[in-house]
Amino acid sequence: MSADRLSVRHDDGEPLLQVAELRTHFRTPRGMVRAVDGVTFTLERGKALGVVGESGSGKTVLARTVMGLLPKRNVNTSGSVRFGGVEMLGLPQRQMRELWGTEMAMVFQDPMSSLNPLMKVGKQITEPLRFHMGMGKSDSIATAERLLRDVRIPEPRRRLNQYPHELSGGMRQRVMIAIALACGPNLLFADEPTTALDVTVQSQILDLIAEQRRDRNMAVILVTHDLGVVANYTDEIAVMYAGRLVEKAPTRTLFSNMKMPYTKALLRSIPKLNLPSHTRLDTIPGRPPDLVHPPRGCRFAPRCANARDRCTEEEPPLLAADSDDHTYACWYPVGSPEYREREEQLKRLDDRRVLAAEEAG
Amino acid sequence: MRYLLQRFVQFLIVFVVVTFIVLAATRIGSSDPLRDLAGGQVNQERLEEVAADYPYLDKPLVIQYGYWMTDIVTGDWGYSYYQSQSVMDMFKQRAPATFFIVFWALVIGLLIALPVGIYSAYRRDRIFDKATSLSTFATISMPSLVVAVLLLYAVAARTDLFPTVGGSNYVAPWDNPYEHFKNFFLPALTLGVGIGGVWSRLLRADMVLTLQSDFVTLAKAKGISPMRILWVHALRASVLSLITSVALQLGALISGSIIAEQFFGPRGLGDRLVFAIQQNDLLTLQAIAVVIVAVVVVANLAVDLLYAVVDPRIRAARALT
Repeated sequence: MSADRLSVRHDDGEPLLQVAELRTHFRTPRGMVRAVDGVTFTLERGKALGVVGESGSGKTVLARTVMGLLPKRNVNTSGSVRFGGVEMLGLPQRQMRELWGTEMAMVFQDPMSSLNPLMKVGKQITEPLRFHMGMGKSDSIATAERLLRDVRIPEPRRRLNQYPHELSGGMRQRVMIAIALACGPNLLFADEPTTALDVTVQSQILDLIAEQRRDRNMAVILVTHDLGVVANYTDEIAVMYAGRLVEKAPTRTLFSNMKMPYTKALLRSIPKLNLPSHTRLDTIPGRPPDLVHPPRGCRFAPRCANARDRCTEEEPPLLAADSDDHTYACWYPVGSPEYREREEQLKRLDDRRVLAAEEAG
Repeated sequence: MRYLLQRFVQFLIVFVVVTFIVLAATRIGSSDPLRDLAGGQVNQERLEEVAADYPYLDKPLVIQYGYWMTDIVTGDWGYSYYQSQSVMDMFKQRAPATFFIVFWALVIGLLIALPVGIYSAYRRDRIFDKATSLSTFATISMPSLVVAVLLLYAVAARTDLFPTVGGSNYVAPWDNPYEHFKNFFLPALTLGVGIGGVWSRLLRADMVLTLQSDFVTLAKAKGISPMRILWVHALRASVLSLITSVALQLGALISGSIIAEQFFGPRGLGDRLVFAIQQNDLLTLQAIAVVIVAVVVVANLAVDLLYAVVDPRIRAARALT
């Protein structure tokens, strides 16, 4: 095994992760589902990237493809995933296994179903330690206890001998993070790490991930449907729609100057604390498109209030905005004359409707 | 604890009901129980002797059951005039052969089911899965008497390794392991292949579901080897149906032993049971039936306990009741 050990580099200026033109297509009886359809991005060491999109936008598939966790059967992947200078796509499982846990790790969405219900927590944490680091029994138990303390689990020694069902949801997610951190990975995927948790616990978990990222200089890819979640915890945000990146920018830039109407719609669909209660939440009408037959032109056009003829005919390329690190794919981005014009029209229409309603009432 | 007690009472009820049916069935099958107990065509003296031993034969069946069960529980299984042997002695003599046929059939069944079930789930719809799916289907659909004939024809008759038809004898494994193997391999295999096919399919089905669960993906993402994922993580979560079936099939294996004993020859309880039925040897018949019922009931009780060993959540839920 050592003969073909991978030479993942962590020294030179090369970025940690370079994904180029990545495509993941599932062969199904209905046809080819283009879950990820040409995604390109780069992630530097120690940085946090948020991948945001609705369910079905391909963000989870993207994370799993990059990590190489998808089954081979009925899956076509193409493009390139370079990790530490090594091309990962097409590597045999045997070699991937050396990277899983030690170089990259994943925190899954549902801590209820992602921990082995029949195995004590301690064993689940020591398993990768013994497997990858060749630790002995007592060493690995001591390390596991330290990891549980790192993720702020009270009475870590007692927890080692407990089963997942004996822990609360938040605690289980902490255990999962401890497992992911066990072998000191350089890249952590967090796939909707807080979606299955109580709201009160969500920020604790995200704080924990952020803290561990800083302490370990570990890069994080945070996959979520909630734009609000990524705002405080990422350096950069990539918005995904129908298998493609539609906007990508440093977090601050994105929130101050979002270009893609889809991003804006996502933001509008988050409840805001400063609005009076019972304010109707904006939703994005319609559903994400069928990924077997994605619409022609811009894939968001059928649901976009600002779409014009060009949008349904020509697919907009991913263009750079004012700065190079802000890209978006839209013919009439937020702030463009056409966008403003349509916005005015919609507003007038809305006002008229309100007036009509008032007169009628 | 309360849970255990509940289960125990349940199984006790099952035992009583089934053994009562056993008694009733033997009485239905016998036009003259006294004569059958005395050994068929015998003189008046013998009949009176036996009538004195069993004074309750003209009582209602429920009363008879009470007397009989008391005898069974206290170890007084009676004397079979047909065999000129006490039933308990017969049992001590015959039970080991049947025990080993069933035991080895079980081992063979599991030795087939574990690798086949696990690996065909792991390589679902691939060539290995398709091949084993076909062959397990074949062994399941083949009655064990056909398997027995095939084994006799293809193995026993063509090699000197194994005794041929009816030639096997009981040899205890601790006396001579090799002879034990020679005498028990084919009869055990006869029953084992069929049952192994059933268990392979059961395990495969559960395993396929388990392999799709998140915790298996997490184990994979930890960089654990596929073998360890399969045998340590996924197997344990997939064995509940399998162990349930093992307990349920135990009764079927014991009845299957009748066929194996007939064909191959280590003569055990099954062989005796067949004669007892032909001769209307009521005491022998009843005793063997009771033992089979008891074994199956106890096995199911054991499986119930095993659930809690396998799954800590079941343990926790039971602790609450």
